[in-house]
Amino acid sequence: MEIENLIKDTFAAHEHDVPDTDRVLAATRERLDRRRAVVSRPLAAGAAVVLLALGAVAVVALNRSEPDDRVATGTGPSSAPAAAEAPAKPGIGELAMPYSLGWLPPGKAGYLVRRINIGGSAANPDQPVYGGEYMLTVTSGPQVLLVDVQEMRSMPISGAAFKSGPGRPVTIGGRAGVESSNSGGPGGYEVYLTHPAGGSLYVNVAAQPGSTASAQQLTDAGRRVAENVTFPGTTTVAPAFGLGKLPDGRRMCTFDIEEHGPGGARTSYSVGTCSTLPPIQVRSDEADRVRGTAGERVQGHETRYEEEKGYHTLWILKAVHGAPIAIAGPGPRAELYAIAEHLVLPR
Amino acid sequence: MADYEDFVRAHLPRLLRYATMLAGEREQAADLVQDVLVKVYRRWSRISDAEHPDRYVLRMVTNDYLSWRRSRSARLIAVGDPPDEARPDDFASDHAAREDMWQRLARLPRRQRAVVVLRYYEQLPDADIADLLGCAQATVRAHSRKALTTLRHGLSLDRMAQAKES
Repeated sequence: MEIENLIKDTFAAHEHDVPDTDRVLAATRERLDRRRAVVSRPLAAGAAVVLLALGAVAVVALNRSEPDDRVATGTGPSSAPAAAEAPAKPGIGELAMPYSLGWLPPGKAGYLVRRINIGGSAANPDQPVYGGEYMLTVTSGPQVLLVDVQEMRSMPISGAAFKSGPGRPVTIGGRAGVESSNSGGPGGYEVYLTHPAGGSLYVNVAAQPGSTASAQQLTDAGRRVAENVTFPGTTTVAPAFGLGKLPDGRRMCTFDIEEHGPGGARTSYSVGTCSTLPPIQVRSDEADRVRGTAGERVQGHETRYEEEKGYHTLWILKAVHGAPIAIAGPGPRAELYAIAEHLVLPR
Repeated sequence: MADYEDFVRAHLPRLLRYATMLAGEREQAADLVQDVLVKVYRRWSRISDAEHPDRYVLRMVTNDYLSWRRSRSARLIAVGDPPDEARPDDFASDHAAREDMWQRLARLPRRQRAVVVLRYYEQLPDADIADLLGCAQATVRAHSRKALTTLRHGLSLDRMAQAKES
């Protein structure tokens, strides 16, 4: 019993090591504002070197009708919902990124790309601003680099905060910024460059834990990635399935495409009015997460349906190469089915 | 998202204490909790509907810790090898005993440490620990037994008692 008391005493004695609550709260808010990527999550590697198709492809418009990337509210002609104009032809539309990466470190790259809600603007904090993000894992021999490129439209470079070490002024490609490099620290190389449409563009290149890279290598790679980002982007990415016609007043707000997932690319959409947080998630799922009771068939597929305290989930079984799709949100059941019926599934 | 803010304010101190005991280091505990809070924000509409959001988030911290140290092992601060045999002067005070124990705790396998923290710091019953870790109560007891055996190894409680008496 004595050792158990010693353990309790040891924990109690180390409560003074607990981080300051206010500091953690402030740092968390900052991360939410910047929607900084958690780059330490290893992404699947082994894809082709050229990972994203470049070119002008007819795409499902995603907030692109708004020059400042703010989401349309549906109150006037200039803010007409873009994604409601779903692909006219059956077929999975490619998704556009707002900017393109012109250069990546050599090696095989795995990717996660997304359009995300990056918070409200300073002028209008209640109106979401959307941005794009690339999270890449580049493998070259034993070395694995994590590359994160993210728009931070609501944060100017004066608000830059680094994971490791202070920043210093830098000019890359004629654009002002601040950078920090610490090859042994959690941040690796980081730079915030002035975004042409306001705010900043964040580039982070770090060695995956367990892999090593010199500070100079990270700096060279990070600067070159940043220098070769082009606006607006021509990069498109292929989801595993598409959104078809959406119910009135609903549109695609965000997407999230990861190279490897159940049934191919893991695909997730947020659907809603986009003027508030999107209430409906449409995502590829895993078969062992399916619950609920049998529902009505959708596009010839069996379904399962679950309602838990007003939160509804509809699974379409074997929808994407044998894997299910989940449609979930607090909305009415009929709305979930309406979305399901119009999804564009792979043939 | 005012309720998210309220939730975080109410539960952050406990989460930070718990994460510190798990991670054994202040900065890593802060990183761990920040990572979880960002995820909580993104899933708040779902989490807030859970019967016990606090328990849900505690589980997220636990799960992140279990995978987190695995992916960041290169960043862990070395704690050094515990001495093969306790030296009398190490145990001349309770403080030294606790610091020695802290180092030994840091060297436990992740799940064993999580069980020890949940049992002796959070003081949760085995049933709740099993629920948090997603395992059987028997597994919890096995982890605890192994952890205590490891911690006792090389730790001379008799010598500590002698040092206290002298």
